[in-house]
Amino acid sequence: MANTAHLEAHATGHDAAHDDHTPKGWRRWVYSTNHKDIGIMYLIFAIVAGIVGGLLSGVMRMELQEPGIQIFHGLAAMVYGVDGDAALDAGKHMYNVFTTAHALIMVFFVVMPATMGGFANYFAPLMIGAPDTAFPRINNIAFWLLPPAFILLLMSLFFEGTGPGALGFGGGWTIYPPLSTSGHPGPAMDFAILSLHVAGISSILGAINLITTIFNMRAPGMTLHKMPLFAWSVLVTAFLLLLALPVLAGAITMLLTDRNFGTAFFKPAEGGDPILFQHLFWFFGHPEVYIMILPGFGIISHIVSTFSRKPIFGYMAMAYAMVAIGFVGFVVWAHHMYTTGLSLDVQRYFVAATMVIAVPTGVKIFSWIATMWGGSITFRTPMLWAIGFIFLFTVGGVTGVVLANAGADRALHDTYYVVAHFHYVLSLGAVFSIFAGWYYWYPKMFGYMYSEFLGKLHFWVMFVGVNLIFFPQHFLGLAGMPRRYIDYPDAFTLFNRISSYGYYITFFAMLIFFYATWEASRKKRPAGDSPWGEGATTLEWTLSSPPPFHQFSTLPRIESTNAH
Amino acid sequence: MSRGGVSYAAYFALNPVWMHQWNSIRGFEVTGQFLRKMGAISAAAMALAPVLATAQEEGGYAAGHPLPGQFHLQRSVTPIMDSITAFHDGILMWSISLIVILVLALLIWVVIRYNAKANPVPAGFTHNTLVEIVWTVLPIIALIVISVPSFGVLSDQLTTPDGERKYLGANIFSFGEIEVPAPELTIKATGQQWYWDYEYVDDDLAFTQLMLNETDRNATKPGQPRLLAVDNELVVPVDTTVRVQVTADPMGVIHAFAVPSFGIKIDAVPGRLNETWFNARETGVYYGQCSELCGKDHAFMPIAVRVVTKAEYAAFIAAFKAGDYDAANATLVAIK
Amino acid sequence: MSAITKNHDYHMVEPSPWPFVMSAAVFVFALGIIFWMHQWTPFVFFIGLVGVLYTMYAWWSDVIKEANNGVDHTPVVQMHHRYGMMLFIASEVMVFFGFFWAYFDGFFRFDDIEQYARVAATGGHWPPTGIELFDPFHLPLFNTLLLLTSGTTVTWAHHALLENDREGLKWGLILTVALGAVFTVVQGIEYSEAGFSFAGDMYGATFFMATGLHGLHVLIGTIFLAVCLLRAYRGDFTPERHLGFEFAAWYWHFVDVVWLFLFASIYVWGSWGVALSH
Ligand code: HEA
Ligand code: HEA
Ligand code: CUA
Ligand SMILES: [Cu+2]
Repeated sequence: MANTAHLEAHATGHDAAHDDHTPKGWRRWVYSTNHKDIGIMYLIFAIVAGIVGGLLSGVMRMELQEPGIQIFHGLAAMVYGVDGDAALDAGKHMYNVFTTAHALIMVFFVVMPATMGGFANYFAPLMIGAPDTAFPRINNIAFWLLPPAFILLLMSLFFEGTGPGALGFGGGWTIYPPLSTSGHPGPAMDFAILSLHVAGISSILGAINLITTIFNMRAPGMTLHKMPLFAWSVLVTAFLLLLALPVLAGAITMLLTDRNFGTAFFKPAEGGDPILFQHLFWFFGHPEVYIMILPGFGIISHIVSTFSRKPIFGYMAMAYAMVAIGFVGFVVWAHHMYTTGLSLDVQRYFVAATMVIAVPTGVKIFSWIATMWGGSITFRTPMLWAIGFIFLFTVGGVTGVVLANAGADRALHDTYYVVAHFHYVLSLGAVFSIFAGWYYWYPKMFGYMYSEFLGKLHFWVMFVGVNLIFFPQHFLGLAGMPRRYIDYPDAFTLFNRISSYGYYITFFAMLIFFYATWEASRKKRPAGDSPWGEGATTLEWTLSSPPPFHQFSTLPRIESTNAH
Repeated sequence: MSRGGVSYAAYFALNPVWMHQWNSIRGFEVTGQFLRKMGAISAAAMALAPVLATAQEEGGYAAGHPLPGQFHLQRSVTPIMDSITAFHDGILMWSISLIVILVLALLIWVVIRYNAKANPVPAGFTHNTLVEIVWTVLPIIALIVISVPSFGVLSDQLTTPDGERKYLGANIFSFGEIEVPAPELTIKATGQQWYWDYEYVDDDLAFTQLMLNETDRNATKPGQPRLLAVDNELVVPVDTTVRVQVTADPMGVIHAFAVPSFGIKIDAVPGRLNETWFNARETGVYYGQCSELCGKDHAFMPIAVRVVTKAEYAAFIAAFKAGDYDAANATLVAIK
Repeated sequence: MSAITKNHDYHMVEPSPWPFVMSAAVFVFALGIIFWMHQWTPFVFFIGLVGVLYTMYAWWSDVIKEANNGVDHTPVVQMHHRYGMMLFIASEVMVFFGFFWAYFDGFFRFDDIEQYARVAATGGHWPPTGIELFDPFHLPLFNTLLLLTSGTTVTWAHHALLENDREGLKWGLILTVALGAVFTVVQGIEYSEAGFSFAGDMYGATFFMATGLHGLHVLIGTIFLAVCLLRAYRGDFTPERHLGFEFAAWYWHFVDVVWLFLFASIYVWGSWGVALSH
C-alpha cells in the first residue's frame, strides 16, 4: 500500500501459543464473536449460494440454447405433477421464477456475502491493525440472519405465486408492481419480501459494524489517508449499504401492505403510482450495483500492487474516486427508467449525471495500469484474475456508458444488451474480483497454498467460458432480443446457442475451482506468513497463516515512511 | 430457420445478411460527416466512407424483424431510428471500442514490458500529476463529445412533431435537417395480459392483436416469423406521422410497446398514458415484442405494424368504418 | 475469562448465543407474519414475537452487565457505541425518507395529466377529493407541543444526571415517559376519528404509513426511556457514564424531529386550502 507498515512489536508467536483458548466445537462457529471465523462462515455461505445461483442459470441457459420450450415444460411437469398445456403454462412461469431467484441469489446471497461479509470481515480489521470488529455480536447476527433470509427465498419457490399450479415469484429481481402485487397474489411474493427484509437488516447491521470498526479501531498512526485501499472500499460500500438499503426496506414494506392490507401506494386506481416503486427501487438499486463492485475495486488494488512489487499509483485519487463513485451513485437512479415516460428534462439530467461516473472509474482503471507500469510483475493466479477483471470490467463499464444515453437506451433497454452489460460488470467483474481475492488470501486464511496450476487453469477456462456466454448477448440485444424471454424468434438462435455452450465451459471451470480447493486442503502445502514476498505490504501479511485467533493483542504502530 | 446440422462456418461465409450488416453500419458515413464538420479531414476515413455508403444503398436488407445471426441494430425506416443508428454506430461504437482497445493495449504493454523477467527491479514512483490530469480530462472531453448528439437524439425522440420543428435524422451533428409533418393519426395501444389492444383514436375504431400459434401461423402466414406473426396487424400509412398513445389495462400489469425498426420503446403502465411517435418511410410489416416483464406469456405478445401506401390506408380505414377489421383487412394484399 | 493478555482497550466479546437465537427468532417471526397475513395461523407470529422480545431482553441484559462491570466499556468502546447509535439512526432516517418520498409523490404529482387513473381517483386534488383532513392546529398541534415539551424534560433529566441529581433524573424521565404515553394515546384518538383509512387510497396509505411508523418509534422510544428509568431506580448511570440514557435521549430527539417534519409537511402544508374535519 501507500505506506510501509512497521510493527514495533507484534505478538504472533505469543498468541499462537494461547490457541487453547479458542472456543471449541460447534459453539466456536454458532456463538462466534470472532471476525475471522465469521468471515469464513460468510465465504462458505457465498459458495453454497453460488452453487445454487449458478445451477439456476444453467437451467436457464439450457432452455435458451434452442428456440422453443424444451426444459421447463418437463421440469414443471416433474415438480408440480401437471401435464399438457398446464405444464407448458407452469413452465413459462417457472422460467421467470428461475431468472428472479438466480438474480436475487447472486446479488444478495453470493456477491454481497462474499465481499462485504467474507473478505471485509476477515481482512478489514487485519489491515487496519485491529484485534476484531467493533461489535462482534452484531457481526455474528449479521451473518446468522442470512441463512433464514436464504431459506425464506428458497421457500418462496414452493408456494403459490400467480395462481394455483404456478409456484414461486416470477416478477424479476426488480419486483415491480403491479406484477409483484396483484400479479402475484399468492404467498410466494411475501416470502420473497420477508427474505429481502431479513437480508437487508443483516446488511445494515454489518455496515454499522464495519463503519465503526474502520473509524474507531485503526491502529495508532494509521490515519484514514494511510489506510489500505481495501479498507477504504469497505468504508464507502458500508455507507452505501447504510443509506440505500433502508429505502428498499421501505419500498418493499409498501409492497407488503399493498398486497396484504389494502393500501394504495402503487395502485393507480386508488391514486397510487406504480412508477413510484421504480424510483424507490432504483434509488436503492443503483447504489446496490456499486455495493457489489467497490469492494472488488479494493481487492484488485492490493493484488495489482503486490504482484507488481510497486506501491499503488495515485493512492489519494484512488481513495477519493471511490468516494466520488459512491456519492454520484446516489443521484443517477432513473437511468433504469428511461422508457417509463419521464419528461425530457428529467431524462437529460439523468443522462448527464450517469455519464459523470465514467470519470472516477476511469481514474481507477488507469491508476491500476500505472501501478503495473514500471513494476516487476509476476503472474501468479490472483494477478491473472486481477488483470482479467480490469479488462472485462472496462468492457462492461463502457457498455454502461452506451446505456446511459437515453437516446440509445431507447433501442437497448430491456434487451440482452443490458443483460450483457451487467454480467460483464457482475459475473465477469464482481465475481472475478471475488476469485482474485479468494486466491490472494487463500494462503492467509487457511495456511496452505493452492495449486498454482489448478488456479491458473480455473482462470483460463472461466475466462473463455464467461466471455462466450456474455459477449454474444450484446449482439442479441442490438438485434432486439428482449430480456426475460423463455422463447425467442428463430433468428436469435445462433448467439443464444453460443452463449449456452459458454455456460458449459464455465460450469467446467467451477468444477476445477472446487477441485482446486479440495486439492489444496488435501495436500496441505504450508504457505508461510507472507507467500507473495515483498510486494505484499499490508498488515495481514505480518501475521501467521492463518492468523492467531486473537491477533494484535498488542496493537501495531504504524510509522509511515515514504507515504505518497 | 435452419437448426442443427448446419455448419456454422459455411453459414457465416455464405450468409449475405452478415455482409449487409457490415456494409450498412451507417456509422462510417456519419463519422465522415462528423470529421468534415469538425474540419479535421482524415483522408483515409474520407476515402472509406463513400465506398461503404454505396454498398449500403445497393444492399438494404429486410427491416422489421431480426435476421439469422444478426449482430447489429435492426434496419431503420424512421428518422428517429436513423438517429439512434447513427449515434450508436457513428459515435458510441467507436468511442467504446477505442477505449477498450486502449485499455487492452496498455495491459498488453505492461505485461510484456514490465513482467519480472523483462524488468527485474520495480520502479518506485507513485505519482505523476500530468498523466493524472490527462486521464481525467480526456474522458471528460470524450463524454462531452458523446453528449452533444446524445441530447439531440433524445430531444427528437421525446418531441412529437408540430410540422415546424426540424429533426436530425441520420445527420446527428446537424441542427436539424429533416422535416417531419405534424401527426395525422393517433393510435392507442393498450397492453393486456398477454396481447395488445389497439384503437384508431380519431375514428373510434378498435381491434385486438394476438400472436398466432404455430398451427395457425403455418396455416395462414407461414412466411412470417414464429413468435412474431399475429392475426391482426396494426395498419398505418407510409410517410405519415403517427402519434402512439400507450397504456395498459388499469387492473393489469406493466408492458412495453417497442418496434425496433422505428426506434421506439415506451412502457405501457396501468393508469398512465404515455406517448411516442413515428413516421415510417417504407411499406412493409414491422415487428416488435413486449419489452417489460409481464408474466408467463411475456415472450408471446408481439407487436406487428403494417405500413401501407396512403391510398391503401384510405381504403382500409373506410372499410373498417363501414364494417370490421376483417373486412378492412380484406382490402389489403394478404400477408403470406 | 480470556487468558490472553490484551494490551489494548477494545472489548473482546465472549462468544454469545444471542445472535444465533435472535436470528432463529427473526426467522420464526417472519414466517409468522406470512402465515398470519395468509390467514393460516397467528400463533407462529406470536411465538416469533416472544422469541424476539426475549432475546432482546437477554442480549441487552448482557450489555448492561458489561456496562456496569466497569471493565469492558472503556472510553474507546463507548465511542464505538456512539458511532453505532448514530449510524443506526441514520439508517432510520433513510426509512422515513422512503415514506416521505411516497407522500410527496402524491402531494406534488396529484394532477399529473399522464396519470389519468390517479387524476380520476384524486379528482385532480391533493388531498384527494372526499378526504377530510385533520385540523393541524387541534390535536396535531397539541401533540407537537407535547413532544417538544418531552424533548425538554429529557434534557432536564440529562442535566440532572450530569449534576448527579438522582431525583431530577427520575422525575425528568417519568415526565418524558408520561408525555410519550400521552402522545400515543392522543395519536390513537386522532386515528380513531380519521375521515380516511390506511386501505383504499393513496392519501390514507401515505398518511398512516408515515405517521404510523413514527408512532411505532414513539412507542419504542418510550420503552427505551422507561428502561432507563428502571435502571435509574436500580442505581445505574453515573454522571460520567450513562450511554444507555444518552442513546434513549438521542433516539427521542430523532423521533421528535421526524414528527416536526411530519407535522410541517403532512399536517400543515398538506392541509393548505382544503376542507378540514372539525
Ligand atoms: C457491478 C454492477 C454494475 C456496475 C459497476 C455498473 C456500472 C454502470 N452501469 Fe450498469 N447495470 C447493472 C450493474 C452495474 N452497472 C445492472 C445489474 C443493471 C441492470 C439492472 C436490471 O435492469 O435488472 C444495469 C443497468 C444499467 C443501465 C440501465 C439499462 C437499461 O435497463 O436500459 C444503465 C443506464 O444508464 C447503466 C449504466 C451504467 C454505467 C454508466 C456504469 C458506470 O459505472 C461504468 C463506468 C465504467 C467505465 C466507463 C469503464 C472504465 C472507464 C474508462 C476506461 C475511462 C474512459 C471511459 C469513457 C470516457 C466512457 N447500467
Ligand atoms: C452477481 C450477479 C450475477 C451473476 C454472478 C450471474 C451469473 C450468471 N448469469 Fe445472471 N443475472 C443476474 C445477476 C448475475 N448473474 C441478474 C441481476 C439478472 C437479471 C434478472 C432479472 O431479469 O430479473 C440475471 C439474468 C440472467 C439472464 C437473463 C435471463 C432473462 O432475461 O431471461 C441470463 C441468461 O443467460 C443469466 C445467465 C447467467 C449465467 C450463465 C451466469 C454464470 O456466469 C454463472 C456461472 C458462475 C458461477 C457458477 C460462479 C458463481 C459462484 C460464485 C460467485 C461463488 C464464489 C464465491 C467465493 C469464491 C467465495 N443471468
Ligand atoms: Cu407484456 Cu411483457
Ligand atoms: Cu444503475
